Amino acid sequence: MVRLCVLLSQDQEGLRMEPEQAAQEGHRNASPLRFSRAGLFAAVLGALGGGAIGAELAASSGSPTQDREILSFGLSVERLQAAFYAEALRNGRLSGETRQFAEVVGGQEQAHVKYIIDALGSSAPKSPKYRFGDATSDPAKFIATAISLEQTGLAVYNGQAVNLTPKTLAAVARIVSVEARHAGWARALGNEDPAPVPVDAPITVEQAQRVFRPYIA
Amino acid sequence: MEDFHPDSLGLRDFDVDGAVRETFEQCQQETRAGFLRLAAGAGAAAMIAIGARPAVALANAPSPHDTAILNFALALEYLQAAFYTEADRIGALHGALAHQAHVVGMHERDHVKIFKSLLGTAAIKEPQFNFRGVTGNPSAFRSTAVAFEDLAVAAYKEQAPLIRSRSILAGAIAIHSVEARHAAWIRRLAGFLPAAKPFDDPLPDARVVDIVNSTHFVTLRKPHTTSQTAPPFTG
Repeated sequence: MVRLCVLLSQDQEGLRMEPEQAAQEGHRNASPLRFSRAGLFAAVLGALGGGAIGAELAASSGSPTQDREILSFGLSVERLQAAFYAEALRNGRLSGETRQFAEVVGGQEQAHVKYIIDALGSSAPKSPKYRFGDATSDPAKFIATAISLEQTGLAVYNGQAVNLTPKTLAAVARIVSVEARHAGWARALGNEDPAPVPVDAPITVEQAQRVFRPYIA
Repeated sequence: MEDFHPDSLGLRDFDVDGAVRETFEQCQQETRAGFLRLAAGAGAAAMIAIGARPAVALANAPSPHDTAILNFALALEYLQAAFYTEADRIGALHGALAHQAHVVGMHERDHVKIFKSLLGTAAIKEPQFNFRGVTGNPSAFRSTAVAFEDLAVAAYKEQAPLIRSRSILAGAIAIHSVEARHAAWIRRLAGFLPAAKPFDDPLPDARVVDIVNSTHFVTLRKPHTTSQTAPPFTG
């Protein structure tokens, strides 16, 4: 099992890469513009009516510094989700499968928080305070908010995947599919198809922040 | 819903017959040994087409390295698409399970289209499948679908960091999470926790192929038409 903390503590200046991975990085960096307009990413977005990510895809290439920035953002997503489920459980207004969802998913988000903090070490940012209003006490609002938080968290992870180094991508991918399971489960609780489209459209960090910002106190 | 450990329910549990495994091995062989030859014949512009939506060309054909990974993914998608399509066609499923098979079948067929378009002439051919009655039995269908979807998630997770083209990586990641949604969907319908663990682990391709082979769903030759299993559609 690859541990993020091991990966990131290996070298504070830059992640040591295996020759094979270094070659991959070189390959990726060698032609960052090649697929900028006509790539699969853009095609997926075009097909699904998404925004213009093609330019962003071309503009970046993986680096340890960028890995840490993305992990820091991932930490903020996981903390917000963990806080949301913890507050909902404290309020004690959920029942049945909805309560089970909050317990199981809340516990997993806490595990993700710890996983990323371990990876970031002392550079992990501090946790903010949150305000969820009645979304943590009204069951219908709880489900709608859970869907929004999980869909958004997944989409922004998917959007950042191409910006990670292969090692960190491998480590983060262990979280991402669990977020997708959460999103599917939340949707099922809201009587929506868990998988509404054949390809999940990614979003940018800015788009995600617009969804998350109202919950930051 | 009780906790569920994927190891306790493998595809091996549905190995109801000892049939031919050559075709999937052939897929694997082609993706590993023959990929250079196959990639040499790849079209200059692989096209993406999701249904009738606008098509966008990939600027370059995939590299031999990425071609091998794409063909591996295509083999898995062929398997899943055929499985759900047949279940949908036979019509033995009802209610939420029938709806799941119908919607997920559309997704898997779209995934096949995407990978075939990307690969162009380098795409491996679709093997013959024989699901040995599983697609006509709701309980067996459900258990097999759980195993298939969790397997697909693990397979994509292993392959994604190995992909060199950032555009292909972006697409694979976007499909990886849909497979995880499928897994959550069918697990819930099967009475398992949709998300049983905080972390999903990858599975090396050799293990994936072993598991698929062990089902004997992939056949080299055409299924026996004289067997007791009636053809789903006779017109």
